[in-house]
Amino acid sequence: MNKYKLLLGGSLVAIAAMGFMASSISGKQEERESINTSPVVKAEGVESKNEEWARYFPRQYDSWKQTKQSDTIEDMLEKKPQLVILWAGYGFAKDYNAPRGHFYAVQSNINSLRTGAPVGPATGPMPTACWTCKSPDVPRVMDEEGENEYFTGKWARLGDQIVNPIGCADCHDSKTANLAISRPYLKKGLEASGVNLDEITHQDMRSLVCAQCHSEYYFKPTEYKDAEGKDQVAKVVTFPWAEGLSAENMETYYDGYGFSDWTHKISKTPMLKAQHPGYEIYKTGIHAKRGVSCADCHMPYKQEGSVKYSDHHIGNPLDNIANTCLTCHRESEEEFKSLVKTKFERKEQLMELAMNSLGKAHLAAGKAWEAGATEDEMEPVLELIRSGQWLWDYSIASHGSFYHAPEETLRLLGVANDKAQEARLKLVAVLAKHDVFDYVAPDFSTKEKAQELAGVPLQKLIDEKVAFKSALLQEWNQTAVKEGRLNMEPRKGMSDNSSYSK
Amino acid sequence: MKAGKVLTFSSIFAFAVAVVFFIYLVNASKALSYLSTDPKACINCHVMNTQYATWQHSSHAQRASCVECHLPTDSTVNKYKAKARDGWNHSLAFTMDTYDQVLQISEDGANRVQANCISCHARLTEIIISNSDRYHDFSGTPSTERKCWECHRDVPHGKARSLSSTPNNLGVREQ
Repeated sequence: MNKYKLLLGGSLVAIAAMGFMASSISGKQEERESINTSPVVKAEGVESKNEEWARYFPRQYDSWKQTKQSDTIEDMLEKKPQLVILWAGYGFAKDYNAPRGHFYAVQSNINSLRTGAPVGPATGPMPTACWTCKSPDVPRVMDEEGENEYFTGKWARLGDQIVNPIGCADCHDSKTANLAISRPYLKKGLEASGVNLDEITHQDMRSLVCAQCHSEYYFKPTEYKDAEGKDQVAKVVTFPWAEGLSAENMETYYDGYGFSDWTHKISKTPMLKAQHPGYEIYKTGIHAKRGVSCADCHMPYKQEGSVKYSDHHIGNPLDNIANTCLTCHRESEEEFKSLVKTKFERKEQLMELAMNSLGKAHLAAGKAWEAGATEDEMEPVLELIRSGQWLWDYSIASHGSFYHAPEETLRLLGVANDKAQEARLKLVAVLAKHDVFDYVAPDFSTKEKAQELAGVPLQKLIDEKVAFKSALLQEWNQTAVKEGRLNMEPRKGMSDNSSYSK
Repeated sequence: MKAGKVLTFSSIFAFAVAVVFFIYLVNASKALSYLSTDPKACINCHVMNTQYATWQHSSHAQRASCVECHLPTDSTVNKYKAKARDGWNHSLAFTMDTYDQVLQISEDGANRVQANCISCHARLTEIIISNSDRYHDFSGTPSTERKCWECHRDVPHGKARSLSSTPNNLGVREQ
């Protein structure tokens, strides 16, 4: 009997002891899981407010916020007045500035004369697609409304929705904070160009998140039925990558599609506009071939104490040359900068030649139409102008193409200039046929003269924009604040520069 | 007699429950993993995540696992004696929460590591030892008694040895 008492007592004591141990183990297990889990910024949907991410990623946020320092407006139309002639009849002839920090993405979009001066949600010259690269609110609205629905309507429709500048959720998943493609059209473009999305590596992602915006695109009219079964047409941002990523590949794609962005106001050419194909041209350069990603140079690792993180103050790597270029290239800072400068000057020289030739070709073509040239006579000329300007635009429209891919940039500029000059040769013959000899293109050496020739009513555009900014824009911001989409705190002390505010 | 039967049954039942509970505990505490040489056993709890991550990114990760440096390699008996002693100390400290945030190796642990440095890098250390009489000696202690990592400070766990050296280290991804 005593044996059993002992067994019972012993077992009960052991069970009690093991009970304590089991509860300790499960407590420790929870601890471990919480330590091993990355913070969840937002479990469902997209967290578009950058300040919300700052709670978990303070260093990354602070470095991102430094893009606020880059607020200077460099009026490119003033610096390169040829641009106004090349883009006559298109929005870019109104206003075109050098890029600023990510912090200003929404402000630059609103201040640009290209987006016009809407007075209500259904007015203004531009579609909603113009917001697409400006804000993490874009994937949020796509998530809430649907992709085609997002791309439907006028730019002004989403004025009180798109309020936070390019930030965290543009490149990071709100739940896991992993790098993620937030824009569906990049995935479609990659698939069309033959990339298997399952084979994308982390190092690829460190460039692809940038390629979501720093790429060539066009607005593809897409028919669909909305939730109420009504026929709608969305203007969907689309990458023309199905034939390949080179300038000639894309030209084939657009020609096959019979596409033109606009008809040139002076020469009547059906034109293509290259929008910053930065990723595409970088892919042809030596850094891409060696597997160097955008982030390797534009977001170098940084150390604070013994904490290492990537610098989200994205800008020109030459501003931080010791931590970027010189980690691989063992020249002195001075020598390296002078090498880059040489590359830049080579591009500038060929770019000026090509722009002058193209500008004169447009004006001479305008003269030929005036003199009574026929469509048959003009067709080969316009083809050359369309192709030449496309190649020129592709080669220089993105940031730093002279550095990302110097050979490709110079090659394209050479071919572009040749096509423009060939068009001008043909135009001499056309003009002569209609008794115009010794035509000299008018002077377009300043922004004012060029905009006069291109018929840009600058003052009117500015007046309308200023009125829009004091009326509708204020309503947008108030609504966004009231409905919790916008926090005005980070905007404190933010400058409000534009090409016309000087 | 009836009371005796109840006692018999309940004691056998309690014993059976205790055995099942014990098996559950062995499983829940991953006790058997400690008999292996898998470095992941060292981060069954989270305390050594930093040590694991710094080792994993070092050149030693290609050659030596945790136990190959930190346990005696001269005999199996010594190895398991050390393993048992460490295991007892670690589980006690972890269960009672008596460990420090900044982990420091014990005297005994340091001697073991030093012995293992020498056993792998025997050719190299032989030369050092044979030349030791030619070294400057400022402290009065023979230079052969210094530890390898007094000079090779960042081998293999890096220079900064605290949680802050791996702020985003979240253990081994299990997905």
